[in-house]
Amino acid sequence: MSDDELDSVIHAPARLRIMVTLSMLAGGEDLSFTRLQDLIGLTPGNLITHLRKLEDAGYVTTVRSGRGVTARTGVSLTQPGRAALERYATVLRQLLDGTDPADGASINP
Amino acid sequence: MNEDASAERASGATADDIDEELDLRRAAAIMQEARERALHELRARYPAVFAVWGLVLMIGYGVIWLSVLGQHPYTGPTPLSLLALTLLLAVGAVTTVIIVGRALTGIGGASVAQRRVHYLALTAGLVGIFALEGALAHAGASDSLIGVYGAVAPMLMTGAIYTASPALWQDWSTRALGAWLVVVAASSAYAGPVGVWGVAGLLAGLGFMAVAVVRRGRDRP
Repeated sequence: MSDDELDSVIHAPARLRIMVTLSMLAGGEDLSFTRLQDLIGLTPGNLITHLRKLEDAGYVTTVRSGRGVTARTGVSLTQPGRAALERYATVLRQLLDGTDPADGASINP
Repeated sequence: MNEDASAERASGATADDIDEELDLRRAAAIMQEARERALHELRARYPAVFAVWGLVLMIGYGVIWLSVLGQHPYTGPTPLSLLALTLLLAVGAVTTVIIVGRALTGIGGASVAQRRVHYLALTAGLVGIFALEGALAHAGASDSLIGVYGAVAPMLMTGAIYTASPALWQDWSTRALGAWLVVVAASSAYAGPVGVWGVAGLLAGLGFMAVAVVRRGRDRP
């Protein structure tokens, strides 16, 4: 087993932070772009770039609502995104352990 | 690829910012740190909220109980003790709004709307209960009856709403607290207009404290 088996879309510091942060929301919840930016500590431009990559992979979805001062962009993890993060955590754990344990998913590496 | 590079240039990001090399141990550390930060920032500190309400009930009802202790005949709580209870309830409400509001800022979705309905139901229920208390007094109900009603009716209503709350919170401890409040409210009424304040305040307050302890243990990362 090698590093190549880690999902390259997720295997970047900022995107990993975004994925893990969004995975902590309950089902049906989303996080505003500004709060996500505050939690991750990225510039708006950087965050947009990372979100675009994750969105292109089908891992996150963004929904815009409202206009003017009430405008809001909500970001949430999709089901494939949650599954991809679970797989990533499993592979990472196996690589760190140097073993090849039976399937088991958890976002804790 | 070119499109990504253009987007990175447009956003001012460098290639290192975007796809920095990441070794396995650092990836694991980032996951752990991001998880802990999200838990810390996005989860309301409900144990603190329950603990505050436990103290509000024990102290507030305790003050009322001390003010009516030894009254023969029963004439009701003193204005000062009612003011103390009102201030304590306000402290509880403001604390709840601050703690819950701070954590949930930026979070959207169906669960947020459900939480709003929950707080609206609690507020509307309390307003209705106090309005009914005034109507009972106006209709000539005795001080003893008003005393028992004033102590248990808000608790009964809160318990009923908490019992239905798993639809909002998916949490067994809140449901158990709701059932406990209903039992305490109904049974403590038999302690009479004086004893009800002491019994209901102590038992309900301990219920809130117990849930605070349970949830604190469970919410630890």
